[in-house]
Amino acid sequence: MNEQPRPLYWTFLGIVGIVISIYVLFPVFWLFLASFKTQAELAQLPISFWPETPTLEAYTALFSPTHQKGQLLDWPQLIGNSFFVAISSTVLVLFFGTLAGYAFARLNFPGRDLILGGLLISRMFQGAALLLPTYRLMSMLGLQDSLVGLVLLYSAFGLPFATWIIASSLREIPKELEESAMIDGASRLQSMVMVVLPLATPALITASMWHFVGAWSEFAFASILLESNANKTVTIGLASFVELFTLEFQYVGAAATIVALPIMLVFFFGQRYFTRGLLAGAVKG
Amino acid sequence: MLRSDRLLAYAMILPVVIAVVAFVVGPTYNVATLSLTQVVMGQERGFGTLGNFRALAADPVFGLVLQNTAIWILGGTFLCVTVGLGVGTFLAIDSRMTGWLRALILLPWVLPDVVTAMAWKWMLHGQVGILGQTLQSSGLTEGTVSFLGDPDLVMWMLVIVLIWRKMPLVALILCAAIRSVPDDQLEAARMDGANAVERFRFVTLPNIAFSLTAVTVISMIWITAEFALPWIMTGGGPANASQIMATYIYQQSFEFFNWGVASAMSVINLFMLATIVALYLYVNRRSWASEESK
Repeated sequence: MNEQPRPLYWTFLGIVGIVISIYVLFPVFWLFLASFKTQAELAQLPISFWPETPTLEAYTALFSPTHQKGQLLDWPQLIGNSFFVAISSTVLVLFFGTLAGYAFARLNFPGRDLILGGLLISRMFQGAALLLPTYRLMSMLGLQDSLVGLVLLYSAFGLPFATWIIASSLREIPKELEESAMIDGASRLQSMVMVVLPLATPALITASMWHFVGAWSEFAFASILLESNANKTVTIGLASFVELFTLEFQYVGAAATIVALPIMLVFFFGQRYFTRGLLAGAVKG
Repeated sequence: MLRSDRLLAYAMILPVVIAVVAFVVGPTYNVATLSLTQVVMGQERGFGTLGNFRALAADPVFGLVLQNTAIWILGGTFLCVTVGLGVGTFLAIDSRMTGWLRALILLPWVLPDVVTAMAWKWMLHGQVGILGQTLQSSGLTEGTVSFLGDPDLVMWMLVIVLIWRKMPLVALILCAAIRSVPDDQLEAARMDGANAVERFRFVTLPNIAFSLTAVTVISMIWITAEFALPWIMTGGGPANASQIMATYIYQQSFEFFNWGVASAMSVINLFMLATIVALYLYVNRRSWASEESK
């Protein structure tokens, strides 16, 4: 029994913990700090850690219609577009995912497991390889520069996972509850809506949060499909700063903070649900 | 089972199936046929040719893309899993701080790719980036380092950022696996005089072997599909030094309009994904079987 003396052990743990925290937080925090610095301060050496003269100039610039830095993007419009796309596709995913999830969990039909397995596997094929054919498909449908097109696309990408999360949680709910409601005269749909869904609320929250975060953050498909400035989303707006070969990182910092904010709110307030989905989702890819 | 229930079931899953067929299966089929079609400036001229694959193989950048993709996927996966195992082992320790860290560590995972890419671009900036400045002022390097401008360095810089982004979930999954290792086995090993390293090697590791394999294959799928991070950080540059399959497909499709070559590369990419997915199904055959028997 030659365990290390406790104080030394705890000091060591503390140091490792602090190192990991800094590693995780610093890159984001550093860009956040840049958003409050002035142009001159960003270019000066040696680097100052805290903003010397904290200013909100970068934020006001992004939101003022007269300030047209390079890309001529209107940030209030971008934010509105992103919320529209993320919220609408979350609603669609939740509605159709619940319907399908219920069928997969509760009803018996030929091909059930095969179809669910196929849906889950389709989720793994969503990388750059589908950019070109998706662009061609959306042009053919006349949806290539349309937020509605993007909503449909994101919903299709998000549905398999949402369906799976909802189906696995519905399987945990005892069938007897539903059966007794049906004996009392409720139809299948009534018993689903009144009895089963309230019990599945945590899974519904998990599925919505996941989809919202994914839709809000998506960049690749938005960047190939959206052409007019009036239709662009926040991730496109943030990425457009790459084309400005300058040191104007205060604007990048402000824009990144705006893009990250809704995600951070979801993350901190829904931690419990989020982690649930994360670990469940990881098991199935 | 009632016939009406069966019809109801099909009606309920129909929207999801249509969506996936239209937006995933359809495009996959479409890109496969396109890769076998001669395409000139977006016009299709005749099906049934391997010309696109020949053109791709003759592209001088192709070899470099394969090499970079190998660093990206294999290097990225290996480092993700090894670093993730280390961090996961640490997080598995019982204390208030590790409990708190288990929540915090997911932050890089949930942030949008674009934000991550910008945050690291800023840190790695050639002149006023904090990383280069710190290295210089601490005397470790002569001048500042052009992290993303040096062809020998850039690919590994991307891998480092990739680890920052993807490792947390690997660590968390492995942490959960380590915490579920039976205490009595660890206690028995301790009684037999095994030290911490031996307990890890002979008790913990065999117990988490399944999770470790599964998480390795899943990381490969994530990393193969990752596009936004490398694209925004370097756009494949400088001079294709960080061009990987994903960025190459994007560039050929939407900047050079070389749809033939782009579709051939997409098909190769899909085959790679299919191979990894097959590996994943093989590794996970136990858990899928148990799912289906429910």
